[in-house]
Amino acid sequence: MSAATHETEHHTSLGVDNRKLLMWIFLASECLFFGSLLSTYLIFKGESLSGPGTDIFAFEITSISTFVLLMSSLSMVLAVYGAQHGQLGLMKLMLLCTILLGLVFLGFQVYEFKTFASEGLTLSTNQFGASFYILTGFHGCHVGVGVLYLSSLLISSVRRNGIGKETPLYIDIGGLYWHFVDIVWIVLFTVVYLIPAY
Amino acid sequence: MATATDGVGTVQAEQSKVWEWLTTVDHKKIGTMYGITGFTYFLISGLTALAIRTQLAVPNGNVLSAELYNQFFTMHALMMIFLAIMPMGASFFNYFIPLQIGARDVAFPRLNALSYWVFLSGSLILFSSFFLGGAPDAGWFAYAPLTDAKYSVGSGLDFYCVGLIILGLSSLMASLNFAVTILNMRAPGMTMMRLPVYMWMTLVVSFLLILSLPIVTVALVMLYFDRNFTTNFFTPETGGDPILWQHLFWLFGHPEVYVLILPSMGIVSEVIPVFSRKPLFGYAAIVFAGASIGVLGFGVWAHHMFTTGLGTVPALVFSATTMGIGVPTGVKIFNWLSTMYGGSIRFTTSMYFAVAFIAMFTIGGISGVMHASPAVDSQHQDTYFVVAHIHYVLFGGAIMGIFSGIFYWWPKMTGRFLSEISGKWSFWVMFAGMNLTFFPMHFLGVSGMPRRIYTYDEGFGWDDWNMVATIGSYLIGVSILIFLINVFRTMRQPATAPDNPWDAPTLEWATSSPPPEHDFDVVPEVHSSMPLWTNREMGIVTPEAPEGLHIHLPPSSYMPLILAIGVGLIGVGLLSHLALVGIGVAISTYGVWGWSIEPTD
Amino acid sequence: MADMNAVHDAHDEHPTTTIREYLIIGLVLSVITAVELVMSLYEDELGVVLIPGLLIFSAIKFVIVVAMFMHLKFDSIRFTQIFAFGFVLATCLLIAVVVLFAYDATDAIGGGFIGDPIEHH
Ligand SMILES: [Cu+2]
Repeated sequence: MSAATHETEHHTSLGVDNRKLLMWIFLASECLFFGSLLSTYLIFKGESLSGPGTDIFAFEITSISTFVLLMSSLSMVLAVYGAQHGQLGLMKLMLLCTILLGLVFLGFQVYEFKTFASEGLTLSTNQFGASFYILTGFHGCHVGVGVLYLSSLLISSVRRNGIGKETPLYIDIGGLYWHFVDIVWIVLFTVVYLIPAY
Repeated sequence: MATATDGVGTVQAEQSKVWEWLTTVDHKKIGTMYGITGFTYFLISGLTALAIRTQLAVPNGNVLSAELYNQFFTMHALMMIFLAIMPMGASFFNYFIPLQIGARDVAFPRLNALSYWVFLSGSLILFSSFFLGGAPDAGWFAYAPLTDAKYSVGSGLDFYCVGLIILGLSSLMASLNFAVTILNMRAPGMTMMRLPVYMWMTLVVSFLLILSLPIVTVALVMLYFDRNFTTNFFTPETGGDPILWQHLFWLFGHPEVYVLILPSMGIVSEVIPVFSRKPLFGYAAIVFAGASIGVLGFGVWAHHMFTTGLGTVPALVFSATTMGIGVPTGVKIFNWLSTMYGGSIRFTTSMYFAVAFIAMFTIGGISGVMHASPAVDSQHQDTYFVVAHIHYVLFGGAIMGIFSGIFYWWPKMTGRFLSEISGKWSFWVMFAGMNLTFFPMHFLGVSGMPRRIYTYDEGFGWDDWNMVATIGSYLIGVSILIFLINVFRTMRQPATAPDNPWDAPTLEWATSSPPPEHDFDVVPEVHSSMPLWTNREMGIVTPEAPEGLHIHLPPSSYMPLILAIGVGLIGVGLLSHLALVGIGVAISTYGVWGWSIEPTD
Repeated sequence: MADMNAVHDAHDEHPTTTIREYLIIGLVLSVITAVELVMSLYEDELGVVLIPGLLIFSAIKFVIVVAMFMHLKFDSIRFTQIFAFGFVLATCLLIAVVVLFAYDATDAIGGGFIGDPIEHH
């Protein structure tokens, strides 16, 4: 997806790369996506006509998975650091770390959903269940997409031709997406899990 | 060229021609495809409108059954909004963004192709619902609980959810592309305050879509889950809230009406100065008005919901913001009028449509501001008065603006002039037809005729005006026929249009008609918002193209097409069998992978 | 590491944060999260302080990640403007919608809020 011509590859009106600009505008759009999901959750938060409510949350598990996602952000920023400073070994190692931590987070989420389902909270149980699953489920989908995205970056950086001289840029942009998914979780963890129902 | 005797050669030439269009990443070709597809849906959607008007011509009409009527009015709106006006807007965006800002293509040519193909697959999914068990029938805004599996038994509303999500994806990708292109690929010297007004409006529209589409996507996903995966977001019996749908829908829906009208405002802002031979009056004011419409457009959505019992304070707040958004709109109207005032006006067909736009849009705007008052709104809710209002805005506004653009840019896009005589005929017939169709609806609305009823009894005093409206709608049909004949006759003429036939000031007129594949041999210097006029006054001549000019263009690619087929299959799978989703995901993955490894130089 | 220079030359303006600093930031983020957790366990003692406190801590984490990990502190101001516009818009709309539901007059029949129009018949 390079710019159309050679001149514009080196000169842009705002002095920033097209692809990075695209990612930031996309992230602005994603804010509205999660904002709408979160609004739905908050509107229905107190409304459980039947079945379990927010007291179903198990803080130990969620705290661990929150920590895992936070650490994945740290490893991601180190991967970007490696790419920007020419330390490709560090970059690959940290990318791998990030991917694994992302997978661990997803594992916890699957476990959480299974546990809740066995305790009687399904999509159709009540409004709390539906809006909780759809909110955190979409976040999980974003983590999943991030795992695939970073894996493709890792695979292509291992291949002999690699991603070439634009490696720092590609890793940087991939990192933006990953960190965004992390800050969404920062908000969700506080608003959904920590702030009690009243 | 292959001769007639060389049969095999001809077939091959045909095939490579088709392949060229299927794999193109050229913004002009993609724009052309958007335009043709959009206009086709415009015709189909127009036919559904004619069927509706035929049904309503006399009391107790029996042309359409109630079920079919519901599908027709729903699909008429959906097709006009998502499959006709938006793509026709996208057509001009694609074609003219690079040309007006002095770039050689959009920022992401392959993403641009992908947007078109995804749009096509989404539109086919939505349209195919007619033949696969019934189209959506709950109105374009699909209010719950009409959309709930209990009250809408067929799969029409699943087509609605899936189709609109895919179309939204396409619009999102296109808008991201347009926004990056306008922000980041302007010619040297073209600052933001030298952008053509049309480009400003395109930028505002792109951001409106980028920021509002995710909201409706969430709503559509929840509706799809309600209908297919046992959730109860919008079903009141089980604790759901139908009002939530209205909030989420109108949070998108109100910005969407600006998505439909702002491109036409941009076109008119280009056309009026050219044919008044005068710079646009108050460039900065018109730009800021457009931008503030974009921002304020997010703060007025609940004016669609005054009758849901918002409460006194919220109703007052939304009433005030809605009146407020009328101010920048008014600013623009005075700017256009002031541009014409004292100019030496050339009344071409394009100018006719532009002037009619101002008049008709003003009528629609005024009847719109009336509904900023909750009291008036409660009276008019669900009556034909609202139908009159939206059609003055969307037909008198958006469509008239698009026709103005078609007549204005046709020589640039094809090298041929549409006939002015035929054009003026189509204008006057359309103008008369549209006013005959939609003005009586004000009277019908005030005398209490509800919207979305498939028939009515005699004796309510609605008979005469309905007949007038139906006659008017047929006149609109005639005007479109005249236009189509004009197009076909024009395209058989030789391409003789000069570079800048209208003596226009913006960059798209600095290259040949139609433009070469690389758009510009040399991009002219930009010193003002009207570069070609300023350069002429200052005696700046664009240098001749150097000998042996070689401009590197991105190679064509079939990956966008593959990816779009994958996305389309996912959509089909969501509507039929989940196994197809798997196949769709596999094809999309292959598309993404092939996309990322194919060379772009 | 033959291509090390090539990689380095492609972009010259990098954030100046060192690995050590990144690790410290990671530690700070973890500590804040731990404090939040502890706070949520003392729901009753903290009373009205709890919710604003949690929101402030979460906002601090948000800002740290966006500014340092996503490099907005070092990058073009345009990125900050674009992202902030989306974020602020999303926050405003979220608050507006939630408030509209909280003060839904149709729900208040019989129950009644202060200033509820239904009470002034
Ligand atoms: Cu509106």
